[in-house]
Amino acid sequence: MKMILFTLITYIIYRVSKKAYTKWPFPWFHPLIIAPAGLILIISIVHVSANQYLDSSRLLTHLLGPATVAFAIPIYKHYSMVKKYIGTIFVSITAGSLAAIISSFGLSELIHLNSDFMISILPRSITTPIAIEVSKEIGGLPALTTVFVILTGVIGGAFGPLVIKGLSIKAPIAKGLALGTAAHGAGTSKALEYGEQEGTFSTLAMIFAAWITLVFGFSLIPLLMTSIH
Amino acid sequence: MKKILIIIIQILFLHIFLFMGYGVKHVLPIPIPASMIGLIFLFLGLKFKMVKLEWVEQGGNWLLAELLLFFIPSAVGIVNYHEIFSIQGGETVLLIAFSTVIVIGVTAYVAEKILNRKRSNA
Repeated sequence: MKMILFTLITYIIYRVSKKAYTKWPFPWFHPLIIAPAGLILIISIVHVSANQYLDSSRLLTHLLGPATVAFAIPIYKHYSMVKKYIGTIFVSITAGSLAAIISSFGLSELIHLNSDFMISILPRSITTPIAIEVSKEIGGLPALTTVFVILTGVIGGAFGPLVIKGLSIKAPIAKGLALGTAAHGAGTSKALEYGEQEGTFSTLAMIFAAWITLVFGFSLIPLLMTSIH
Repeated sequence: MKKILIIIIQILFLHIFLFMGYGVKHVLPIPIPASMIGLIFLFLGLKFKMVKLEWVEQGGNWLLAELLLFFIPSAVGIVNYHEIFSIQGGETVLLIAFSTVIVIGVTAYVAEKILNRKRSNA
């Protein structure tokens, strides 16, 4: 009963926040900011703990599994594009994923971030289910990684278009690859606002970036971590 | 109503690939999420015409269109991490912003350079 109730409330809040965001597209109106904020407010008013809420809404979180499987559909549909641009996809996403890991690592060292935070930050550019898996494997805190993944998505969606404009990036393929590599699903939903080609390549970038980060997760990241101890 | 039913059935069907992913993980303890293995199975199924696109398209498209919805409960979980509201939390947000901007810049720049070279070669 509670499960149905909280799933329904979450869905309604999500719909409303999505509608609000299309009407007022300011970064801080992003559905991943206002929907959780609204829900936190609601559960604190009705005295439900965050853990109780998380337990009651686990159906929604569970759907990330089949959603990840469903990414096979765009790859299949755009297979000829993948084949044609495989080199571009591979090189630019590897460069982007390396930039993600090295810049996070370097900046964390710079500000002396505590190591729990730091390890949990490293896999944050990729989509949540895989980021969680990588985080667990390298000794991060999966829940903290989830938060960082979401923050990355919101920031990427908000600043992505500015960076693209600032560097005067023209190619739709390049825009899509950048948004998908840096900001996973949130970047992809931004890329779809540009157009279908941007959306397609953002989706592809998101999937390939997850794979590449998975590889780095078991090679480069442990190497970097041992280098500081 | 019929459309909702189709979406539900197709999402249930997608679970078969997810379970295949869990199966593989059970036999071979590889550090790849079950859902990513399921993705490969579904792709191969589509490519080798064992699975028809119509069997998964509506359910799959709904899941992908509403992807943000599935992150919301985890985002609410942020309240369990009081550290995020501390000074280090603020620094962390800045770090993420800075690094994310770098990633977008590097990826877009590299991709655009390769594409331009391809075009001038052609």
